[in-house]
Amino acid sequence: MLTFTAFSVRRALQGLWRNRVMSLAATVTMVLMLLLLAGLLIVLSGLQAGLSFVEQKVDVQAYLYDGVPPDRVQALIGQVQALPEVSAVTYTTKDQALADWQATLRARGQQDFTAVTGTNPIPASINVKLREPGVYGTVVDVLKASTGVVQRVDETQQVVDALITITNVLRTIGLIMLVMVGLTVLFIVVNTIRMAVMARADEIEIMRLVGASDAFIRWPFIFEGLFVGLIGAALTLVLLGLAAGPISQFTTAIVAQVPVGFDQQLGLELVGLVVGAGVLMGGIGAWISVRSYLIR
Amino acid sequence: MTATLEPPAVTPRPPEPDALRASLVLHDVSMVYPNGKRALVDVDLVVPRGDFVFLVGPSGAGKTTLIKLLIRDEVATTGAVLLAGQDLAHLPRRQVPLMRRRIGIVFQDFKLLPSKTVRENVAFALEVTGTPRQQAAPVVERVLALVGLTGQAAQRPAQLSGGEQQRTAIARAMVHDPEIIIADEPTGNLDPLISWEILQLLLRINELGTTVLMATHNAEVVTALRRRVVALEEGRVVRDEVGGYHREY
Repeated sequence: MLTFTAFSVRRALQGLWRNRVMSLAATVTMVLMLLLLAGLLIVLSGLQAGLSFVEQKVDVQAYLYDGVPPDRVQALIGQVQALPEVSAVTYTTKDQALADWQATLRARGQQDFTAVTGTNPIPASINVKLREPGVYGTVVDVLKASTGVVQRVDETQQVVDALITITNVLRTIGLIMLVMVGLTVLFIVVNTIRMAVMARADEIEIMRLVGASDAFIRWPFIFEGLFVGLIGAALTLVLLGLAAGPISQFTTAIVAQVPVGFDQQLGLELVGLVVGAGVLMGGIGAWISVRSYLIR
Repeated sequence: MTATLEPPAVTPRPPEPDALRASLVLHDVSMVYPNGKRALVDVDLVVPRGDFVFLVGPSGAGKTTLIKLLIRDEVATTGAVLLAGQDLAHLPRRQVPLMRRRIGIVFQDFKLLPSKTVRENVAFALEVTGTPRQQAAPVVERVLALVGLTGQAAQRPAQLSGGEQQRTAIARAMVHDPEIIIADEPTGNLDPLISWEILQLLLRINELGTTVLMATHNAEVVTALRRRVVALEEGRVVRDEVGGYHREY
């Protein structure tokens, strides 16, 4: 067994080196596919995190005009609280809203222009949490009815719906692209290994004649495919590691205040997915290539 | 009562029990290729262990097909091919490599790997069948000594003469201590003097107990040696006797 493994690995490395241009091409396309796969996972998991963050936040947010008398605000809050669908109502003052906004900017590392202008452009708001998400009843109507107080009403459901749509579209497009790139990678791996097999046609013939078992003929090439997958996965992970910082910032920017990025969970999933996909593609490609040579 | 004293009626012989111990038995073997070409027709052949047999006949007579059947590159359309008692037609795929280790095969074009030395070429046959290096090394040295190439063990095929290359191939064929050596035109690419050298080597291997089947066009060698000659013509055995290359009347 040890002899067998050592033999297979040695021959696989020899094969990679002899056939290095094609091996390089296979590895590069492998990296492209794995990057696409990783990118898809990162974006989708970012959107997913954003989605659950938005969902657990308030359900309806009403932005108020500036300078509305507090008693009118209190009256509206009382009116909304009395509705059967509502579980909680909170009131955010202009100052509070500004402070929150500034905190978010700091978290993103962006410049705070409100300090320059000296004014507060952010409206106060009434935040309504529903008993059951999605069951609005008359909440929106009541808020909108109070003319002169409420400037605009945001239903979070709209945001959620939009996010779900984006997620689904991205997932579909991503999967289609992934399948196409995956097939290309498979094709290139199959070709690379086929060239390696052809380069060794004489050796394979001699091996068959002297009584080498199929495993001894097949596994060096399977290992060659596996190495292409492993090297591709390693390169992809290095690239992802270098890009991790910018990607975290980017995803934070996409889903506003949600601090998603490279947490450990996502990191482990990525490593598993990239290595698994690389090894699988390399192995399957090589297997397909060698199969036709052995069925005789 | 007299009937019991009569010899039994002569019927076509099935492979006798002895045949199971023969190196090689072909019984009623026919081979028809998918394109309809009949390469072998009703071939019967028994090669006892330790025999030395020449296989002769014009090109296209079926020699190559016969050899392909013996190494199970092809399977006979009808009939039985037994190698060391094993029926090749019913050999499971997984057993084929094991069976091939009982055959040493030598070709006209040597089939050596140019990037490997003589020693590595010979060791290759052991390496790819999973023999650990420590066990392989003494076997390799032994067969190199047998063919007289100990001194050239570190050279590559391109540095060797044709005869030395063929001796390397013979050494490689011997590493598994085979039941039978099958040589397909082993002297076809060699000049007469070197051909004799190769033949001497095959005879020595035969004297050490290994069966040898040699397909050849080399009339001079066949005629001089007075060994068993099996002649094929258009897929049939037309002659099987001790004698020369051409039919003697």
